[in-house]
Amino acid sequence: MFDWKLILEAIGMLIYATFMGFIFMGIERKAMARIQRRVGPPIYQPIIDTLKLLGKKESVSHGLIYDFGPVFALGASITALLFLPIANFQLFSSNADLIVVAYLLEIPMLGIMLGAMSSGNPYSAVGVQRGLLTMVAMQLPYGLALIALIQHWGTFKLSEIVALQELHGWSITVPALLIAMIIFDIVFQAMLGLEPFDIVTAPAEISMGPMVEYGGKHAALLFTQHAVQLFAETAFFAILFLGGASNLLELLVKQIAVLFIAIFIASIYPRFTIDQAAKFFWKWPTILGIIAVLLTM
Amino acid sequence: MTFVDYAIPLLLFIPAVSGVLAWLFDRDIVREIFGLIGGLSPLVIIAITYGKLGDGIKWTVDTGVFKLFFQLEHMSWYLAAVAAVVAAAMAFGMVSTSRSGYEWMFALFSVSGLLGVFLSGDFAGFFLFWELMTFASFMMVLRYNKRASLKYFVLSIIGAYAMLLAIAILYAKTGTLEFQSLRRMVVYAAYGMVPLTKTDMVLVYALFLVAFGVKAGTWPLHVWAPDAYSETNQSYTTFFSGALSKAGAYGFVLMFILLGVKLYTDLGTFRGHPLFTYILAWLGAITVVVAGFLAVLQEDLRKLLAYSSVSQVGYIVLALGVGSGIGFTGAFFHILSHAVFKGLFWLITAALILRTGKTRFEDFGGLAEKMPVTFAMALIAVLSLAGIPPMAGFASKWLIYEAAISAHMPLVAGAIFLGSAIAFAYVVRFLYAIWFGQRPSDLDDVEEAPLPLLVGMTILAIPNVVFGIAPGLVVRFLNKFINTGVAVNSYYSISTGVGTYNALSVALILVVGLAIAGLIYIYGARARRIPLTNTYQSGNPVTEDYNLSMRRNFYRPLAEALEFWLKYSFDRFYARVAKIAEDFADWLREGFYNGNVQAYSWYLAIVLLILALWGVL
Repeated sequence: MFDWKLILEAIGMLIYATFMGFIFMGIERKAMARIQRRVGPPIYQPIIDTLKLLGKKESVSHGLIYDFGPVFALGASITALLFLPIANFQLFSSNADLIVVAYLLEIPMLGIMLGAMSSGNPYSAVGVQRGLLTMVAMQLPYGLALIALIQHWGTFKLSEIVALQELHGWSITVPALLIAMIIFDIVFQAMLGLEPFDIVTAPAEISMGPMVEYGGKHAALLFTQHAVQLFAETAFFAILFLGGASNLLELLVKQIAVLFIAIFIASIYPRFTIDQAAKFFWKWPTILGIIAVLLTM
Repeated sequence: MTFVDYAIPLLLFIPAVSGVLAWLFDRDIVREIFGLIGGLSPLVIIAITYGKLGDGIKWTVDTGVFKLFFQLEHMSWYLAAVAAVVAAAMAFGMVSTSRSGYEWMFALFSVSGLLGVFLSGDFAGFFLFWELMTFASFMMVLRYNKRASLKYFVLSIIGAYAMLLAIAILYAKTGTLEFQSLRRMVVYAAYGMVPLTKTDMVLVYALFLVAFGVKAGTWPLHVWAPDAYSETNQSYTTFFSGALSKAGAYGFVLMFILLGVKLYTDLGTFRGHPLFTYILAWLGAITVVVAGFLAVLQEDLRKLLAYSSVSQVGYIVLALGVGSGIGFTGAFFHILSHAVFKGLFWLITAALILRTGKTRFEDFGGLAEKMPVTFAMALIAVLSLAGIPPMAGFASKWLIYEAAISAHMPLVAGAIFLGSAIAFAYVVRFLYAIWFGQRPSDLDDVEEAPLPLLVGMTILAIPNVVFGIAPGLVVRFLNKFINTGVAVNSYYSISTGVGTYNALSVALILVVGLAIAGLIYIYGARARRIPLTNTYQSGNPVTEDYNLSMRRNFYRPLAEALEFWLKYSFDRFYARVAKIAEDFADWLREGFYNGNVQAYSWYLAIVLLILALWGVL
């Protein structure tokens, strides 16, 4: 009754994604350091960080929901990952389409917020507020980019979008979808929590926002969640606009390419304030989005 | 004659009659018993008639002037079932929160009224029950706030008489009030065999738009909703906002069924969409976004939920406006899921108000520990409203997304994306301000919600989860009366041809994901519980005296970003129009009834002059 091959693939993919996610985080730190003429940590540093956090002798908790928040966030990230068709592994992608995956990629945010809110810390509250406002702001251009893509390919199924790109060339070779890609890339900074839209955590401003109270194993969970999420989101980008991939190596190249663009943007731009971000998202990306969807009608 | 033949009269009369009885025998236990009989009977009868519908159960009553037709076929059964579930939950809620037979009577009248609207097979009965429903809900609001009730009443009356006028036009031209023959006549009219002109159709369409738009709370006719929903018994609002607002949506469906062909031929198309549905879709989209933004900025729990209700009904109107089979499926599914999650929200509000007596966000905080069961229910409602798979709210929104995008309405679909992010924002506001953070000291002896309220919440929480995991159940039933274009692969899986959603697999994998994350959590060192005030405050010590929770103006940056748009308000516009009308009435009264005898003789002289000029004299 069970499809053992599928389950093994899923487990293997989870391990691979978590590991690569951590490596991506390491690449991010390394690249940032090199841009600022520093040596930077070794590339496997985030793994060491997470193991250290897991090894803490004691962690503190503010109650049940405080514990549940990070667990829910990681669970939702794992779910989102398993519904993506990753390279030649289809996993569970036939059971859910683009809209479901786009939603699943947002749920971890709710988990983090849930936990952060229950800590009762004012910095967390500010972080939660900023996080949600960023989401409200970015959702319109993000939605428009996805709509343009769906209208062009005429399907919601991710595996079909990949197949169609193999047949007709990558999404970004279509002018309208190139515009959509640009919008998506801007929104991507906010999704990954990088400058200029790292308003949610804003390290120097509100001491890490939602994560301010988390330490020990809770923080380890959040690190792991971030790794899985990073892998899933870069893969999502590659699937939508860069023609997916036929094997993991090809996917990796595309993921790193996407990641490097994000890092380069992040390292030269300062942070927006939240109302600037809202006004920005509702201006240029939205206008571009409307052009893109009208071109694909 | 079997029981099923009496189903319709029983459905219509048991709630109303037991409402009257509850009012007559206004004693503590007695009225609750009558109330529960009235509130639960629709659910029982609806459950019995399931699978016995056949070609539809019919019931006709001859009142002398009109012959009233009622029928229970698949569509009206579905709508009545939604209403019945919400009514049952309302009845349990009211056991805890109502203090008089008056409230029971009018609450149950509105149950009868709504069922009558759904079951009517002609416009006479439809209008009759529509008015009963409006009047009953007005009386419920009147008990709490006169101003809010009058605002609701005036707008409802405008809507109702717009509808009456539209019905009159249709009757004058076609000579029938009955839905089936009216529909036939309208098809004939499309071939020019019935004198129903294009002007008539445009007029009827505009009047219906006003009539049903008021009830559904479509922008710009939504202004009554925030006041009326909040200024009444919150258990009743479960029904008021959960089910009663669906009468407007049903009205739009009726418009499609009866006049669709003719409206399509007369109004033509716009960019490949029938114009009349396109307008509807845009009205829905604007409602979703505007009401959503207003909900985010509210400082009162009831107001937030009221605007959110308006916004969610906007989704239904939008989905109807898409006009495709998937759109209708999404609309009908959202009727169900909005009824259950918003009903649940209002019951939670009722419990909060009953136990704390407060409504403003700044007075709440930290109640999750004091009311754990209610909090669990609130979490279900929040997940469903925010559209988290695998809840019912997600399944219906998913259908609406697919419908809007595949019908090539990109900007309307963009509005849904924005609307759902806003929904995220306001449910988090609800969660944060009420359940988390520091608890004000006056809330230290708050108790869990009373049992009847919890029963009511459970009634509404179950469908949220069940129909979320098994959306196929709903779609399979919808397939019986509309050409949905949505394939049901199994109870758990639906697909639209271009997309697919398997709710069970999403649910299972989410559980597996949570289990993996949970294992990592359990593997780590034991967590030590510390109090909320033992927290990071830039390294400073914190004591109980500091209020560390953000209770007020939570979304201030958003208000600042939207400053320009918030300057314009339909609420203030209507208030100004009302003021002008009032001043005009004053001017008329003082100008003409001025107590001057000579003035009255002048009026006489003028009338005589007119008659003379007319040639009468």
